[in-house]
Amino acid sequence: MIDFLQTTLTSFVALIPVTLAQSLILGFVVAGIMIPFRMLSFPDLTSEGAFPLGGCVCGVALASGLGPLTAIGLALLTGFVAGCCTAFIHLRFRIHTLLAGILVMTMLYSVNLRIMGRSNLSVFGTETIFDWVPFVQPGFPLAKIIAVGVITLAIFLALNFFFTTEKGTAVRAVGANPVMAEAQGINVWAATIGGIGLAGAFSAFSGALMVQSQGFADVNMGLGILINGLAALMIGEAIVGKATVWRQLLAPFAGAMVYYQLVSLCLAAGMPPPDLKLATGAFVLLMLALPTLRATRGRQAATPRESFRE
Amino acid sequence: MLEIRAARKVFYRGQPDEKIALNGLDLTLKTGEFGVVIGSNGAGKSSMLNAISGSLSLDSGQILINGDDITALPVHKRATRIARVFQDPMLGTAASMTVAENMLLAELRSTRRTLRHGLNARRLADYRERLAILGLGLEDRLNTRVDLLSGGQRQSLSLIMAVGGSPDLLLLDEHTAALDPRTADIVMEATVRAVEALKLTTLMVTHNMQHAVDYGHRVIMLNAGRVHLEIGGEEKANVTVPDLIGHFATKTDSMLLAS
Repeated sequence: MIDFLQTTLTSFVALIPVTLAQSLILGFVVAGIMIPFRMLSFPDLTSEGAFPLGGCVCGVALASGLGPLTAIGLALLTGFVAGCCTAFIHLRFRIHTLLAGILVMTMLYSVNLRIMGRSNLSVFGTETIFDWVPFVQPGFPLAKIIAVGVITLAIFLALNFFFTTEKGTAVRAVGANPVMAEAQGINVWAATIGGIGLAGAFSAFSGALMVQSQGFADVNMGLGILINGLAALMIGEAIVGKATVWRQLLAPFAGAMVYYQLVSLCLAAGMPPPDLKLATGAFVLLMLALPTLRATRGRQAATPRESFRE
Repeated sequence: MLEIRAARKVFYRGQPDEKIALNGLDLTLKTGEFGVVIGSNGAGKSSMLNAISGSLSLDSGQILINGDDITALPVHKRATRIARVFQDPMLGTAASMTVAENMLLAELRSTRRTLRHGLNARRLADYRERLAILGLGLEDRLNTRVDLLSGGQRQSLSLIMAVGGSPDLLLLDEHTAALDPRTADIVMEATVRAVEALKLTTLMVTHNMQHAVDYGHRVIMLNAGRVHLEIGGEEKANVTVPDLIGHFATKTDSMLLAS
């Protein structure tokens, strides 16, 4: 027993830096899930396709000799377009948000294969943004942690600023009550398309960073990213809350960091990787079901059911 | 000034359940005039209001505000000139946002939203002052989420949001119907005070005949998608509830309202 704990702990501790670097990168895809879900009440599945899209675009760009920043820029752009497509399909054809996301996600799989021309692509050895971090050895987790940490902080501050500006408040109003937002002169179409596009860009950004970090792109790299991201978001919201704008914005980044450490702990303890999705799914289900469970037990009044756009 | 010219709208055209919602409706409301719209269910009151606000597009006809044709404009563009209080208190406010944020959204209704910080000290002081007029204590709850307010408080907030910035046209869609009688009176009084103080051009739909008698310059009765009767001026001052009920087209409606 002691032995088991000791080996678990040693392998977990040894994995902390790598996991931290990975979780910082994946924080953006969690943000890309949170923004539609919480800010726009638009449950969006695009990220499952936008994340590998960003990765594939970045991989192909790097392989063709473009710089790492240009590669990320292209990934951002394509991710934005993917998000816009989902929002447009929902708004124009009145297709349910979830179905619109599934459609785009499914179509993106083919698009990703077309972009890469094969199912995976190695870009090992090409220059990445992690090579630019001063004073540390490139290729080690510390360089990634510093680089992505700085970007995360900058983006968190930027988002926090935006969502309290006049424009940002209007975007949040679209999520809170589209009918009211429209009556207050807010262009619901523009806010929705822009917001979901932004979320797609975040997911793609995450994919691009992941490719630069791991040195290869793979069309299947998005498999299950959505459920992982949701789990991370739930954990983040449980820890930092979601009552104010900055808490809601911090939740995905904080949640990603905690969630992936937990996953790493489970793996270190010898949990078979194939079981991971089942465990994650059960966890998300539990978090989503918690308010209803409490209400039926009569411990507290039923919280108002969350309403989403359909 | 609001002008509706020959507005026509047919639902389910060509189908067995075809319904003519607006049948060549003509209506003019002068600047500063307070019109009260009554009519039985299906008379076209809601269709008219939705056509004015833009959520219902007309088959034919025109809608003009202060002489400008707004027939083709979407809801959010019309919102720069038209403010609306909905019947449902849930509909007129953003529930998951704070009182102050809702006030901010309303203030920005007719202006371009910028990338400057929204809720600054000057605005908060202004909101506090404007909400204090209601006497409901909302001025001390600026940071409270709106879903924690009662229906009456939400509707009062909706009203303050709507009259702020002096819109060219104020639409009141049975805005006291969902409230208890006492709260309804408070909201109605606040409405009349604001409309008179700001001389707002107002169109109020109501099922409350007493309100129709007590308030407004003109009673407009709709029936079958057009104006059935207008009572204004001297006649409006002397009209009584039984008079109005007597004008309802079908017997059943009159009986229902009289009881």
